[in-house]
Formats: sequence, structure tokens, C-alpha cells
Amino acid sequence: MSNNTLTSTTLSAAALALALGSALALSTAPAVGAEMEKCFGVALKGKNDCAAGPGTTCAGTSKVDDQSNSWKHVPKGSCEKTASSTSPTGFGQLMAFTAKKKS
Amino acid sequence: MNDQALFAAALLDPDAPCPDGLTTWNGSDPARRFAVYRNNVIVSLIDALADTFPVTLELVGEAFFRAMAGIFVRRTPPRSTLLVDYGSGLPTFIERFEPAHPVPYLADVARLEMLRVRAFHAADADPLTLDQIAQALTDPERLPALRVTPHPSLGILSSRYAVVALWAAHQGLGALSDVDPYCPETALVVRAGLEVQVIALPPGGDTLITGFATGLTLGEAAAQATASHEDFDLTAHLTRLLRFGALSSLSLPTEIC
Repeated sequence: MSNNTLTSTTLSAAALALALGSALALSTAPAVGAEMEKCFGVALKGKNDCAAGPGTTCAGTSKVDDQSNSWKHVPKGSCEKTASSTSPTGFGQLMAFTAKKKS
Repeated sequence: MNDQALFAAALLDPDAPCPDGLTTWNGSDPARRFAVYRNNVIVSLIDALADTFPVTLELVGEAFFRAMAGIFVRRTPPRSTLLVDYGSGLPTFIERFEPAHPVPYLADVARLEMLRVRAFHAADADPLTLDQIAQALTDPERLPALRVTPHPSLGILSSRYAVVALWAAHQGLGALSDVDPYCPETALVVRAGLEVQVIALPPGGDTLITGFATGLTLGEAAAQATASHEDFDLTAHLTRLLRFGALSSLSLPTEIC
């Protein structure tokens, strides 16, 4: 039947509607990275992330350990459990923060 | 050869004599000054490659990488003034570079790193919104004929080696000793905002995306991908592509076949 030749080259509307509809429902929150999060204040001096190729790189430019406005990719959920010497909370933060004064 | 070509050739050949006609302002030896300049040219290009291929460098060590890059630089000097594009030929060079053969996955890791740099500098495009997909779903009969446009930054690498796991282990994600480099992986590279993401795709994902990129319809690409692998899960693949912002538009083709 002509229907068979059609389904051999393209997936049916019903199958696509099901797959796309489910994908829509499952993907409501766009993910950033493979279950990673940006973590501010935990990168060692010169070890911050962000690579854009030669001449443009901003990675590895942080000047001090745990610099409060430089970030590093860490597995999701671990940032706020990572100790930071500059953070007022004592741990890494998901946003850039103002470093506490050295005591 | 004219003067300019002679000068350029002498820059790339450490054994070439200093080009004729060079003078110095303070009477120092032009040959020595030229040797310094020649060295700086090569070193700066090796540095550029080291910036683009940091994991490739870590896999073989600084000394090996710089020696290999030096040979590449002399054979393949830049053809463009854009340094970010320099090194696109390095993966193929590595593949043919015999001393690198004990690390068979090195070329593919370099390919992945080049895809990351390309993705970083690719054009901006808004990813598909949930509203656009919901809109498309209101007319399911048209779904098979829709064209899906991948994000301009999207790159795919199907490797015989575990490129994603190897790369990730060098980002502090998992231990290198846990990685089996001989487990084939397909890498999806795509930028969301300013962030380049590297994701391992289950089998069939490359067929689906290549289908989209080459202008197949949603129905055709999905059918090819389903046929390419018995465990292909269309819902899971579409979910992943939507979550990582890998698709940028859905449209009906203007021509009717």
C-alpha cells in the first residue's frame, strides 16, 4: 500500500507528535552544560575556566586563589559545598560576589 | 622568488640563511636579530596551538606537543590573519604523525577541541522556544515535513574512542584512570549563551542531527536515525537537543514536492 512506502522513508505524524510532545514536556528547563554549574570563588589562581581559543582566552587569568568574580565549572550541586577562602558564606557561590576582607 | 617570498621561506626554515639586504639600526648582526625573530614567529604559533588544544597537550605532555606543533607550524603556516582558526589541520596531521600513533585517540581529542573553539566563535542564534514547539504541535499533520535547523555553533564528532570521557576527565570530571579510551563515543558540541557544551550522544544521534543539517525533513531524519540503531529513542534524543539549545528553528519548506 502507498501508506507503507511512505512510512519506510518518513516517520508518521502521530509518532513525531508523540516524541516531540514528550520531549517538550521533559525539556522545560534548558540545562547549562552536562549537569555542571558555574561556581564563583573556588578556582585556584590562574585555573579559572572559559576558553575561547588563542588570543581571546579569558581562562587562567584570575589573579588570586578563590577570586570572587572568576568561576570554574563544577558538578551540579557541589559548588555551595566547596570551601572558599574569600566567600562570606565560607563556600563557593553561584553568582559573582564581593570578597570578604582578609582577617 | 621575490624578496617577500624569500623572507617568508627563511622564517619557516631554521637552516635557511638570513635573507640578503637586512640591516639593523644599531649595527648588530642582522643574522642574529633575524634568528630571534624567526624563533618568536614559531613559538607564538606553537603557543596559539597550545591554547586551542589544551587537552591534546596534556595527553602527550608539553615537550611532545610543542615539538609536534613546531613541525606542523613549519609545514602549515597560517593562511588567515585570524589566529582562532589556526590549527584546523592539526588533527589530520596528528593522525599521520607516526610518533603520536601510540596515542591513537589523540587526533579525535584534537578534533573535539577544534569544534569547541569553532562553537565559541560561531554566529548567535536563539534556540527553539517551548512556544515554537507547542505551536508546531498544534498541526501534527505537518510535523513530518518540517525542517529543523541546528544551532550555528553545533558540531558533531563520531569517534572510535571515548573522546567525551577523555576530554571531561581533563576538566576535573571523573578520573582518567576510569576511562576506557576504546569505547566509541559521539560528541555533540553546542554553545548556549557564551558557554560551549560537550555532550556524549547515544547511538543514532549523529544520524538524526546530520539529517537535520543536510536538509532532510523531521520525518525523514527521524526515520533514518530509527533505522540506524535498534535502541534509538527519538523522544530522548529530541529532549536532549532541546535542553541543550542545539536546535534553532522549525519551518515548513517553501517548495512543495
